[in-house]
Amino acid sequence: MTDWSTLAVGRNQYLCQITATLDITSFDHVSGLASHHPLGVSTGIFADDRGSWRQLVDDACGISSYVVELSALSGDELPGLISYLRSEPALPFRYLSVHGPAKNFDEGIVVEQLGELPLAVRSVVLHPDVMSDIAAYRGLGTRLVIENMDGRKKTGRTVEELASVFEELPEAGFCFDVAHAWSIDPTMELAHALLDQFRAKLRHVHLSSLDSNDHHVPLRGDDEQLFAEVLGRCTDVPWVLEAMPPTKWMSHRS
Amino acid sequence: MTEATGVAGLEIVSGTRFVHIEDCRVRTEERLEQRRQRFASQLFDEDSAVVLTGSWGRREMSSESDDDYMVLFAGKRRRDARPTVTEAAGVLEAKAPGREAVFGKQVWLGDLLRKIGRDQDTNANLTRRMLLLLESVSVSGAEVHTRARRRLLEEYLRSHKDYRPPRFLLNDVVRYWRTIAVDFESKMRDRKGQGWGLRNAKLRLSRKVLFAGGLLPVLECHRYPASGMLDYLDAALARRPLDRIADAFMTHRAIDPAIRTLTAYDEFLGILSDPEKRRHLDALEIQHGGESPLFARVVELGRDFEAGLLALLFDDPALQRWVRDYLIF
Repeated sequence: MTDWSTLAVGRNQYLCQITATLDITSFDHVSGLASHHPLGVSTGIFADDRGSWRQLVDDACGISSYVVELSALSGDELPGLISYLRSEPALPFRYLSVHGPAKNFDEGIVVEQLGELPLAVRSVVLHPDVMSDIAAYRGLGTRLVIENMDGRKKTGRTVEELASVFEELPEAGFCFDVAHAWSIDPTMELAHALLDQFRAKLRHVHLSSLDSNDHHVPLRGDDEQLFAEVLGRCTDVPWVLEAMPPTKWMSHRS
Repeated sequence: MTEATGVAGLEIVSGTRFVHIEDCRVRTEERLEQRRQRFASQLFDEDSAVVLTGSWGRREMSSESDDDYMVLFAGKRRRDARPTVTEAAGVLEAKAPGREAVFGKQVWLGDLLRKIGRDQDTNANLTRRMLLLLESVSVSGAEVHTRARRRLLEEYLRSHKDYRPPRFLLNDVVRYWRTIAVDFESKMRDRKGQGWGLRNAKLRLSRKVLFAGGLLPVLECHRYPASGMLDYLDAALARRPLDRIADAFMTHRAIDPAIRTLTAYDEFLGILSDPEKRRHLDALEIQHGGESPLFARVVELGRDFEAGLLALLFDDPALQRWVRDYLIF
């Protein structure tokens, strides 16, 4: 059994794991972003261990034991996650988020299952474009968190589209996916507009770059610069990395 | 004239309304005015002030709030001082004070001034002194109250440096916060957990308003020469604690965290103002805390509130250096 007490806990030990080989020309924003606290990862980045929640948690703790998003993006993953959490594992995370299904699910069943998540789960992230009966999600109350979508999706991308969702789910929080906003508007004006409108609801940030297929990849240097200003408005909430930390954030391991 | 500072200023700048904070302030001011009118017809000693603390001082009264008060005397200790506690309680129509006997007493400014940090500086003396400084409002003897607060500040600032947070005051504010936290645990043991849920909730939020509302102005003293610090702190501590916190966020242009911090606190006040929810928290025992969605929500609000303050203290370069150099050692 993993001895959580020996794992990285809190800001200082976490920084020991991801001390930067700093690029002097971008010192300020690189060191600033890399040192954000609290910061963690989505277990969705560990594709090889999908389905083994114990292992996924171990993998996540290898980067940060402070924040995690347990990702059950496919409906068939959710029962296993619920079962794992019900076994009351001694998780070290101070911020525990669950990303609910965005594919392969029956809405009525998923809403019921999400309601069974223990209270230790502080946020339940959902994609608004796959929510058919929005009102059905009201029972999730303040734990429900709506994520802004990327350009591949049909809705949930803009201020207006999200406002209509929050009108039906007034208690829900906002998960700000910076890269998704960038994919709609690379000038980042949309990103700022989303924060202007929903800043009181902001629960946490999803952070990564996107490749040409809009898949999450490690944060690139130019995106670090581009995203720095809008991330500077989110310093008080957890950041969840949706890809591995940038190579230059990681310490050299012998 | 529209107030452009404090919570109201943040509302203007951000276009956000904190409706429960506003409601509580209106309610508190109405009740304060009622009590001031009652005291206005009384003839008590000239060096006396009846001072309310806690929810009164924060302007967060709900129908269920306690009446934590002190009868403060600026002059020499004497047996026949008036008002007596009974007289003051009668005019206030006050509820009985809490068990720990910090409130509902005659308090002598001399004790507050001369015992700072000494063996005789009991929990009660420290509490009264800190509440007088950080979270109090008078219903009689306003000038006595104001002068007493200034006199306390003078005592702390007797030796301090230009453009540096005054360590004597800073250390006592921090000591008080840690005392509150330790006292919570010991009181819960004494009370066998009675009232755990509500007290825990207040520790997570209301007591942090008290602490941060003192800590932030003290840290901001780095902007002032020694000669200007007394006037700055006197003016700052005359403001409501949440206004001081809002001011700090705006001074450091951290508007987004400010909105989230105060939104969390606003929702918390809404919970406290709901008699059913308040009763639920008051009756909640520690072994059932993990089963209560309401308590889980309060915990979440406490974390959101704290997160904003921590971001202000640790992520703003202008404050971070003072936090590092003054808050740990």
